Amino acid sequence: MTQSPGGFAGRVLRVDLSSGKVSREDTAEKYGDVLGGTGIGYRVLFDEVPAGTGPFDPANKLVFATGALAGTGVPCNGRTAVTAVFPTVWPAPLAGSGHMGGQFAAKLKYAGYDALILEGRADKPVWLFIRDGRVELRDASRLWGGGIRRATLEISQEMGPDCVVAAIGQAGERLAPLAIVANSVSHSAGGVGGVMGSKNLKAVGVQGSGSLRIAGPRDEWERLIKHHLSLLGANNQHVVPAFPSPESEYYNPGSRWVGEPGRRWGAADPPVEITGSILDLNRIAYRSNSAAFFLGEQAWRHTVRGNGCTACPIRCHTVVKMPSVAAKYGIKEVGQNTCVGLVFGRAFFRNMPGGNKGLGSLEACMVGMHLADDYGLWCNYGQLQRDFVKLYSDGTLKARLPAKEYASYDWDKYDAGDPAFLFDLIPRLSERQGELGQVMSQGTAGLFRHWGLKEEDWKRDHSTLYWKMGHPKHHANEDDGQCGVLINTQYNRDAQCHSHTNFVRNGLPIEEQKRLAGGIWGSPDSVDAVGDYRPMNVHKARRARWSLVRKELHDSLGLCNWMGPWVASPLKEQGYRGDDSLESKLFSLATGRATSREELDLMGERIFTLHRALTIRDMGTLAMREKHDLTPDWLYEDKHGQQPFTQGTIRMDRADIATALDMFYGVMGWDKASGAPTRETYARLGLDGAASALERLNLLPGDGNEPGK
Amino acid sequence: MKRFCGTGPIVEAADRCGLGGELSRRGFLVFSAGALASMAALGAARVWGAGAPLVILENPQGLLFADPARCVGCQRCELACTEFNDAVAAPSLSRIKISRNLNFGPAGPSGAPLLGAYGNGLVVQGLCRQCPHPVPCATACPQDAIVEDKATGARVVDEARCVGCRLCQRACPYAMMVFDEGKGKASKCFLCQGRPRCVEACPAQALRYAPWRDLTRESPALAAVSVIPPEKAGACAECHVPARNTPVKERPRSGS
Repeated sequence: MTQSPGGFAGRVLRVDLSSGKVSREDTAEKYGDVLGGTGIGYRVLFDEVPAGTGPFDPANKLVFATGALAGTGVPCNGRTAVTAVFPTVWPAPLAGSGHMGGQFAAKLKYAGYDALILEGRADKPVWLFIRDGRVELRDASRLWGGGIRRATLEISQEMGPDCVVAAIGQAGERLAPLAIVANSVSHSAGGVGGVMGSKNLKAVGVQGSGSLRIAGPRDEWERLIKHHLSLLGANNQHVVPAFPSPESEYYNPGSRWVGEPGRRWGAADPPVEITGSILDLNRIAYRSNSAAFFLGEQAWRHTVRGNGCTACPIRCHTVVKMPSVAAKYGIKEVGQNTCVGLVFGRAFFRNMPGGNKGLGSLEACMVGMHLADDYGLWCNYGQLQRDFVKLYSDGTLKARLPAKEYASYDWDKYDAGDPAFLFDLIPRLSERQGELGQVMSQGTAGLFRHWGLKEEDWKRDHSTLYWKMGHPKHHANEDDGQCGVLINTQYNRDAQCHSHTNFVRNGLPIEEQKRLAGGIWGSPDSVDAVGDYRPMNVHKARRARWSLVRKELHDSLGLCNWMGPWVASPLKEQGYRGDDSLESKLFSLATGRATSREELDLMGERIFTLHRALTIRDMGTLAMREKHDLTPDWLYEDKHGQQPFTQGTIRMDRADIATALDMFYGVMGWDKASGAPTRETYARLGLDGAASALERLNLLPGDGNEPGK
Repeated sequence: MKRFCGTGPIVEAADRCGLGGELSRRGFLVFSAGALASMAALGAARVWGAGAPLVILENPQGLLFADPARCVGCQRCELACTEFNDAVAAPSLSRIKISRNLNFGPAGPSGAPLLGAYGNGLVVQGLCRQCPHPVPCATACPQDAIVEDKATGARVVDEARCVGCRLCQRACPYAMMVFDEGKGKASKCFLCQGRPRCVEACPAQALRYAPWRDLTRESPALAAVSVIPPEKAGACAECHVPARNTPVKERPRSGS
């Protein structure tokens, strides 16, 4: 393998599945201005995939891209962005990214590649073999029709135990829009599994033996890594523990820092007691336990250990062992996942015996993970389950499905909260059996498209958490008032941004947060207490911009936006300050290219704005404000009739959100009427090429191009 | 009892320790542990002079121990090993081995029952045992490039002497030698001069640096290729003789 230029592996691999042609590009030369990750993804889509391309057309491209910091010892790296024309967007497909952790990003880089671009369509099922410089398409006919775990095992036999396999299951093969590609047991990117299936590509197996050079001085690198570690809290960068501790000035029961001394990983052998200082850098892995956070205290007893991505000390995936599920359902007694993946099974049910944190619930979670992560079904951030509950409860399923099909499901089991129901449901959804499987595997868009259900009904119903364009909210007003709302207007899928929520939910009292916010965003008014919102101001717009820019930066550096940025810390002696320049310091030392915070943020803004340009091009309209940056009606209601800007409600005010959009467009340098970036803004960000392309399509604001045109 | 009249590095070393007069084949073996300790105390293993075959290395002072139940599979130890020592991120070059056991455990994807993320969740760390004499990697090296680190007694590769023949890699029963294809040099765990970076890097306290003891008799080992360069074989044969009660059939020496 050639010497890494520092941080980056140096090459992008391109595989044309139609012809079998394999080529390589120089990362810096071709993609130097967009870093990596989503930056490369959006660039490839903008330059190479014409507007109107369908998600399952051979002309769609699938870009697995990571970044300069993936595969290094930087905490919380390990992310791969998988970008393509995304299949779950309503009413028409648009660009989107799924993001996966695990070991794929690191291994791809050790093999010598910062990204993998897949194009065309193989004429029969294949899998892609990548071992350093050797790249081959191999026959996947014996794997086709099988699950992700079998594909992983058989490919690992051919490539070696430490290869990484990113594979699709039956859902992806059958072009379900709700399909994942997954690596390392439980690390998945949603929505792109069907795109992979449409290319007849079952899996990508990667084995890499190379090195990534750290360009800066070794001792400085070691100091910087330790500095970064010292700023870490728990999952979601919660910097305050959930329990009182003599070592912490504050505690907050909502915190994901649940690893209280005295707890134990009860299913470890022998059990592992959590002891000692909660601030010890050699005990960071004990701070987070997603199973305990999401499934209740009982989960500690079943915890084997924490797991997660390469080099991340925050183990947000929990390995859970439940011999009872092996006895009752014949599945493996050990499972692992995090967040919505962890509760995939339970979330289908309206009622669980013993409640959401009871034993039955835990078993439903085990069954759900076992099935979904093998069949490769995506939940669209829980929307699949919420839609299922809604449609069953209001009688739609009974009304819409053929009587024979409806009767083929054991609804008594469902009503009883019996996890066995999932063995019927999840495979049939994944394999798209019957009308239920056909329609619901398309996501919420499928309900509108095939059953003629009205999007307005979802937008009115707060219980669906539906936001817009086929996708739910993702850390919106319930966490962060107008800032959360703005962020949720910007993407073509759910927002996938955590920069904002990782700050406002970090557990510090609002006074401390406001003090920190004054230093970072120029005013303490850039932050409100959760559920005690004040009318919009420009500082919040600046914080929304910062959040989005950092999100794209992280997705393009290979860093985790579920953990970063790290602008607050558990360090009382530092006034709980984190480090707003951390990403640029890491990038500078890894690559040897001295890059300031402002310079790196500019690249993040360029990437984010390229996504905007791509969306404008593919929607064929400048009218982003009117047609894209939408909010659901439930946002403006409160079930108790409480007024906006009163303590205790997350209700927003329409006029105030209009102001918020004005201010946000203002700080972005976008035209306020349309919500489209101006020519000057494209030029400031080095996106003249995109501006010219849009100008040819009459999609630049000004020059007589009115919004709505 | 037949007096041992041979010459060679062992006798030379024993002489320097004041033990030479008492030395017999069996006598040496009887109190070999004491003799080795005495020689070690005197640094005898290094007194043979340049060019002489190296046979005995002192036991190290410390050793890495690992608790698989605590391992969270993050590979921070592997990355600390190569980044803070070599300024590269490269698990393939790490002297502690996590990646290879991460998914399926030491038995790999063909074996059952499975450990690792696809099995029962347990990650077994791969660690250098810093073997006692005879040290397989050091014995195998025709260049005597695997020597003791002065500070810790760790067995370390002297890059200046290593010629990249890979015999050490074949000799290690624990597959703990690493080989840098770029440099054409072998490497192995050298305990970071007494401050192992892997231990510092572990976020779950799964690793520790503790006083040495002999782990080679209890850890399951691979069947390694037994490699002894001819110039060393003679020296080995001076000590590694039949046990007290085992009759030995005399074999005619070649050429006699």
